[in-house]
Amino acid sequence: MTLIDERPTETAAITTRTRAARWWTSPMSTNGPTFQADRLKIGLFLVPMLVVFVALFLIPLVQSIWWSFTDFNGYSTDAAFVGLRNYENVFTDPSMLAGLGFTLMFTLATTVLITALAIPLAVTLDRAFIGRNFVRAIYFFPAIPSVAILGLVWGFILNPLGSGALNSLLQSVVGIGPVPWLSNSTLAQLSVIAVGVWTSTGWHAILYLAYLQSIPDDYYEVARIDGASAFQRFRYITLPLLMPAMTVSWLLLMTGGLKVYDLPITLTRGGPGFSTFTITQTIIQNGVSQAKYGQASALAVIFMLAVGAIVAAQLIVSRRLEGRLS
Amino acid sequence: MSAARTLTRPGAIATSLIMIPLACVIGLPFYYVVVNTFKTQAETTMAPLALPTTLNLDNYLTVFSEIPVAQSFVNTVYVTAAAILLMLLIGSMAAFSVIMRASRLVTVLLVIAFLVPGQVTLIPLYRMLSQAQLVDTLEGLVILYSGGSVFCYFLIVGYMRTLPGEVIEAARIDGAGPWQIYWRIALPLIRPILITVGVFQTMWVWNDFLTPVVFISSTEKQTLVLQTYKAVGEFTTDWPMFLTLSVVVLIPMVVFFIFMQRYIVRGLVAGSVKG
Repeated sequence: MTLIDERPTETAAITTRTRAARWWTSPMSTNGPTFQADRLKIGLFLVPMLVVFVALFLIPLVQSIWWSFTDFNGYSTDAAFVGLRNYENVFTDPSMLAGLGFTLMFTLATTVLITALAIPLAVTLDRAFIGRNFVRAIYFFPAIPSVAILGLVWGFILNPLGSGALNSLLQSVVGIGPVPWLSNSTLAQLSVIAVGVWTSTGWHAILYLAYLQSIPDDYYEVARIDGASAFQRFRYITLPLLMPAMTVSWLLLMTGGLKVYDLPITLTRGGPGFSTFTITQTIIQNGVSQAKYGQASALAVIFMLAVGAIVAAQLIVSRRLEGRLS
Repeated sequence: MSAARTLTRPGAIATSLIMIPLACVIGLPFYYVVVNTFKTQAETTMAPLALPTTLNLDNYLTVFSEIPVAQSFVNTVYVTAAAILLMLLIGSMAAFSVIMRASRLVTVLLVIAFLVPGQVTLIPLYRMLSQAQLVDTLEGLVILYSGGSVFCYFLIVGYMRTLPGEVIEAARIDGAGPWQIYWRIALPLIRPILITVGVFQTMWVWNDFLTPVVFISSTEKQTLVLQTYKAVGEFTTDWPMFLTLSVVVLIPMVVFFIFMQRYIVRGLVAGSVKG
């Protein structure tokens, strides 16, 4: 099995903008009456996408923002404007705060851990060794099945009873009693993070690997001739050239982390207590199950702003780092 | 240096000696799941990691007789196929139009759509679909997933920019209309990116949990992932049964991975380069 044999051709192609918009707009074709008719027809190709945009993005977004300032409950026709009360509630309601807290913790922890593991992994997987393709496939594989199913499976493995798979393994090998993996707040949080790292590290390593393979061997050759040590080669060649990959990987990890829902809900159902509650879970619980539209919308809007702010901040930091490293 | 000598250098052997066992540890949960599907409850509790003593297929028979797996499989295939076709069609049509007319506004709007997290639009969409009687229908899911056409659009438009314009020009001179050019020329030309995006989006739709868990309530409309989630409640005491169900549900994805991994990685890289 080979995961990456070469740098995919279309990727390289996407980055180079060649003969871009010449398709229809070259001078010869802009003349004549048929062009105007065709131009209209070509405009019609956009209609389905505009329908999707308006129905699935624009209207719901505007509704969410509007509801966040009202006490709308989904049934009554008169929704009263309540100003910022919903927003105040978000920051006082313990379940909302818990969701916010754990989501941020999960995002930060998985981003740091996965980056710290995936880069060395990618560098190693780039070397020639026996069994490399097998190893690449195994690391990558946890990213393939549904995270929800993996969460359920891990729920059985980490079952806090003495008969749980990991506990019975620990009992027979190390001889320690049952560890309350999912029934202790801190351990449950750590378990969710650990499983999150397990599912995504290989995926991000393959992402880094794709970028690593685009670094010409000559760079390393020249550095070696100039007497650069292995660490220096990593620090002054690999790391700066991996910065674009890091930007992408962090972006995916942070936005994915903030949106996390499947894993905690299947592994711990948000428990014990509210210890592994997530923002998404709170939005769904308030908005869909309890019909507290205003409250849920306020949280959703805060969430959107937070995602936007983090993405923006992250892009700025990455730019800075790119500048400093290269 | 020959390949064989590269692989037998001390450094390379050391790498193998570290990486292969480590990969086995990473893969251990999958081994645990698979071996326990052939065991009884007692065997699983006694020795979770031991190989099964006999090739006991009882768990599989029970799962297939007690859980309507076939129904959910058909549901999932239907939703995935319809959603992917729809989003590729919408995405490629929009990309075609934007390339031909070189309009900027569309791109700006779609970037906004791309950045809005699904959680924000979830509750209004739930209300909207329930008013249209589409909650708890597979068609409702397909409509929701068609929002994925925005992602398709970005990858397809990026790919289209790299294509030579002469082919289109020639077709125009020969009197082909826009629809003909789209269907006969543009679509065949962008086939590679359609496959890449299609494979990538298939993984999303097939594996998605959030949308079905919120929008589907009837048993006969469950997708595979939702069904597995719901079945855990029934099987809390019967671990091998649950693990068997997981294996059954995971098999299509494993097959998909084996045949499509080249495209999966390509999608991963293309999706990231798009940035």
